[in-house]
Amino acid sequence: MKMADGSTILRRNRPGTKSKDFCRWPDEPLEEMDSTLAVQQYIQQMIKRDPSNVELILTMPEAQDEGVWKYEHLRQFCMELNGLAVRLQKQCSPSTCTQMTATDQWIFLCAAHKTPKECPAIDYTRHTLDGAACLLNSNKYFPSRVSIKESSVTKLGSVCRRVYRIFSHAYFHHRRIFDEFEAETYLCHRFTHFVTKYNLMSKENLIVPINEEENAAPGESEA
Amino acid sequence: MMLSSINNSFEQDTHDVDANCDGPDLDFIYADVDSYQNEIAELYSYTEFSEFQMNVKAFEDQMELYDLPPNWQKQDAASQRSIVMKLVDQLEVSDRSFRMQAARCILYLAQGCWAEVQSDEEQHQNTRDNVIVLYQLGVFSSFIDLLNMEIETACSPDIVAVKITNVTLVDSTDIRVILSVLYIITETIRDEREKASEDYTQLAESFVQEINSPLPDGELLAVKLLGMITRFCSGAAPQFPMKKVVLLLWKVSLLGLGGMDVLKNLKNEYRVKVGLDPITEDTLEVTKCMRASSPPATATDILENQYPKRNFKRSLMKQRFLDEPEQIDMEMSGNEGGPNSNNGNSSTGGNNTGNGEDELSQYYRPFDDPSASTSGNNSNNISGGNGGGGTQTANPNNQPSLTQQTPAMPAMQITARLPWTPKVRQKDIDQFLDISRNKFIGYSLIGDHESLAGLPQPIHEGFKTLQRHMYVSLADMQIKKEEDIARNPISTHEDEIKLTPAEILYQAILPNLPQYMIALLKVLLAASPTSKSKTESINIMADVLPKKMPLTATQSTKLTVDMGRHKEIIVKAVSAIILLYLKHFKINHVYQFEFMSQHLVFANCIPLVLKFFNQTITEYVNTKNSIPLLDFPSCVIGEQPDLSGDSFVYGGEMSDKPYSWRNVFSCINLLRILNKLIKWKHSRVMMLVVFKSAPILKKTLKVRHAMMQLYVLKLLKMQTKYLGRQWRKSNMKTLSAIYSKVRHRLNDDWAFGNDLESRPWDFQAEECTLRACVDRFNLRRYPEATQKCGAGGGGGAGGGGGGNNGTAAQNAENAQQSNMHAGNGSGDRDSNGYGNNGSSVGGGGGGGTINSGQQHQQQQQLHDYGVEGGFPSDEILTHSDFAFFGHSGWWDRKVELTDYFKANYAVWLEEEVYNSQTDWDAL
Repeated sequence: MKMADGSTILRRNRPGTKSKDFCRWPDEPLEEMDSTLAVQQYIQQMIKRDPSNVELILTMPEAQDEGVWKYEHLRQFCMELNGLAVRLQKQCSPSTCTQMTATDQWIFLCAAHKTPKECPAIDYTRHTLDGAACLLNSNKYFPSRVSIKESSVTKLGSVCRRVYRIFSHAYFHHRRIFDEFEAETYLCHRFTHFVTKYNLMSKENLIVPINEEENAAPGESEA
Repeated sequence: MMLSSINNSFEQDTHDVDANCDGPDLDFIYADVDSYQNEIAELYSYTEFSEFQMNVKAFEDQMELYDLPPNWQKQDAASQRSIVMKLVDQLEVSDRSFRMQAARCILYLAQGCWAEVQSDEEQHQNTRDNVIVLYQLGVFSSFIDLLNMEIETACSPDIVAVKITNVTLVDSTDIRVILSVLYIITETIRDEREKASEDYTQLAESFVQEINSPLPDGELLAVKLLGMITRFCSGAAPQFPMKKVVLLLWKVSLLGLGGMDVLKNLKNEYRVKVGLDPITEDTLEVTKCMRASSPPATATDILENQYPKRNFKRSLMKQRFLDEPEQIDMEMSGNEGGPNSNNGNSSTGGNNTGNGEDELSQYYRPFDDPSASTSGNNSNNISGGNGGGGTQTANPNNQPSLTQQTPAMPAMQITARLPWTPKVRQKDIDQFLDISRNKFIGYSLIGDHESLAGLPQPIHEGFKTLQRHMYVSLADMQIKKEEDIARNPISTHEDEIKLTPAEILYQAILPNLPQYMIALLKVLLAASPTSKSKTESINIMADVLPKKMPLTATQSTKLTVDMGRHKEIIVKAVSAIILLYLKHFKINHVYQFEFMSQHLVFANCIPLVLKFFNQTITEYVNTKNSIPLLDFPSCVIGEQPDLSGDSFVYGGEMSDKPYSWRNVFSCINLLRILNKLIKWKHSRVMMLVVFKSAPILKKTLKVRHAMMQLYVLKLLKMQTKYLGRQWRKSNMKTLSAIYSKVRHRLNDDWAFGNDLESRPWDFQAEECTLRACVDRFNLRRYPEATQKCGAGGGGGAGGGGGGNNGTAAQNAENAQQSNMHAGNGSGDRDSNGYGNNGSSVGGGGGGGTINSGQQHQQQQQLHDYGVEGGFPSDEILTHSDFAFFGHSGWWDRKVELTDYFKANYAVWLEEEVYNSQTDWDAL
């Protein structure tokens, strides 16, 4: 990316970058992004600008392939969910949360194994995020980030379903951590919007309440 | 000696008698599958009837949970999707009953919400619509996860092994739900793809992609199912519902690999790729136009059929009388169907009607070479009945020309020409040239396929005719390519191996292929009508027997029908699977086919199939093991039949067809498998002879279906020359049928050939050479998988999975593996026998010394087989019974050294042990 003055902006966090300078590079319009990772870059840029503006972040630019758009968003969710997982590790251990539950009604099986089995909540979290990362990076299902096979798009639904349980577990069992994290990132809020918008999960399964009025209002006005 | 024992067992053409009263040809049309409705109905056994109600109950409970009315059709699309998503979510819950409730609910949806509809069509429509939603929302992969869990629990040690005989329907309740959903989705998509439904196009494509690529755990779905069958056969999981497993495996393979059309196109595509002409003859099409014959397929017979009321006895006598001059002529002329033999026939036939002679000469008219005028045409001309020699209708396109029949004589469908273009192999031409050269110029030119110098004109003509009919098969090219690669491993360039579905499958099953074949055959054996269920180590009835045995007569009649039906369906599916795999491997690479077929042969497939046909086959074909009223969906839609009465059981007799589709289908499949295994393999043809297949096969000819008869006739043709003059004499009609229906091989003296290359030694050599080629191919192309396979074999089948309970079949497996890996049975060499071979093959491939290495290896294997008694000819000949899975199978015999060997063992020791060099570092 040549700028007018000829100097190059590397949109990269070089070793030794201070945390306040992390990802601090100027925005770039989508049309000028000249890389295969443009969509990811665009999404990250939008999030950085205003994480609370969920509606805007999820608004698909014109002429964008919907499969890729969904895929890139899901990738981003999984990456950011690692942040939640790290926080959860402090409180959620196999001894405290022996099973993956949200409300006490259902215990979920961890699907990351050859045979699904019951894992403690934190293991479920790790396994599922690992599994999702594997799937989303797999050469077989997602060989390209420019176009997505139709057959692979159906895989996204199951990733969403499994990943969402991390939110619900955090919400019902580690509320403080969840709230802190949510206040910073609006991740669950964004995720809920995302799966509703693209009809990837049933509404009834979205059991974490999100405060619609508070968050939706600015999104609406800016959109 | 071999032949004399057969001569004693000749039989007459006795079935002529009922030939005339057997009724019309079966209007069966061979296809990949039966109708969609039947294929779905066959998924369920009648004893599963009560479980349908459980599905609708699960659905109602689930809808109550969601506060929705229990009516699927009233939900709008969005709500339907949302419900399915919730159900899928529930499938990942750890509470088993809750999970299974969701699974049943999905099964109900896949079954087309039958409780809400009035007709079968509505139900089908619902299934169609729901399958789209289900598949799109990932139900298929979720159910594979569930299947994994069931397989896992079945094999966990804390489940106390139930006695095989005590397993009932109840033990497989959950796994049957799962398999049913998978099956319905697969079969519906397969069906809609066939019909090219628009809303299914994209979905079907991605589904095919999905089943042709490994599951997330790295296994192919087909391999997972094959693994289930193997596990079941080892006794480790007796509750696996075999019928549903094989049905699902069949449909998954069929959809993944492709059916007959795909095969045909692929074959031509591959042929064109290696520079051969595409094939224009289609067996199916040709046989459709063939008339079934119950020998004698003579014109007199046809005329008799036209006037069935005519003096039946007279015709019988006449036929007997008719036989004799024909025989004499045949013997004198020594020439199949030569013009002389016609005379006796037609003059007698002339008594019957005025134009009998014409028809006969037409029937026997020498093949009118179509390639002389338009080369490459197929020759299934069927001319209108009354045409004499000169009125043959030109048919440039060689379309099956039923339309050309003259309306005056609609029953006449005499094949005026031979139905097939004759073929000849390069080998045969070479032989012809060699003989001629030796005769006329007195020396042979090895490796010269063309030069005619010094040969007289008639030989030139003969050569030209042969050349015109030369057929090079895809296999020939593939074998040649392999030879080239073996000779010049570095300079020969092999194209990149394309990952076709068949290639993927082969690579996936290669490491365990022997076990899979044995397992498939075991299931087939257990389901054969001739098998005695008591002696079996496996119980395939587990998924039909209810917990409570029936009390009333009606109920037990019902159960008997159910059990018969169950077996038939299993035979149908297994035979279809084996045939499908053989066919796909054959065009993908002939050595893949040979590998699979050799393992089938080693696992006694040939006697097994023969034993299958050793029953009253006409009865089997006509069996009505079905109760239409109890078939899904009619058993749950509309007015329910009175289940207490007797009437419904016999409702099946009113069925519109005089035969059972699935049984004819299985018969044809099995015959085709037999043909595939045996064609061009002398050693296996001899198996046909020693197992006394001729009378069995002849009985099979009674089924009046042209295609089925064609395959039987082919099998008879292969062995005719070994059956002896006496047999031929008394079976002239069968020979005529062969002559008129089976493709002619020019120069092939199939009926009277005396070139009996019948030294048993040669047969073993043949099998060993083939084995060596296959091993070399596998080692070269799939070094890793082959090593795994070899390691398993060297260890002696120990890795067969848990249940090595020492049954006869297991022994057979062990013995077979050590046999195949050329251990000579004397314990100490057993372990390195395979390694030896491996190294010599590997070394040859690398260093270019393949010839000596290969020869040496062949010699060694030959020796090993001889010592071990690979195919003890004298033993099998005296064997009246079939060698079955180790019941007196030829490989689990104690090692008996021949006298010759005992006398000369020192030489053997010198050559094979002291002088054989083993590169231990290379092992």
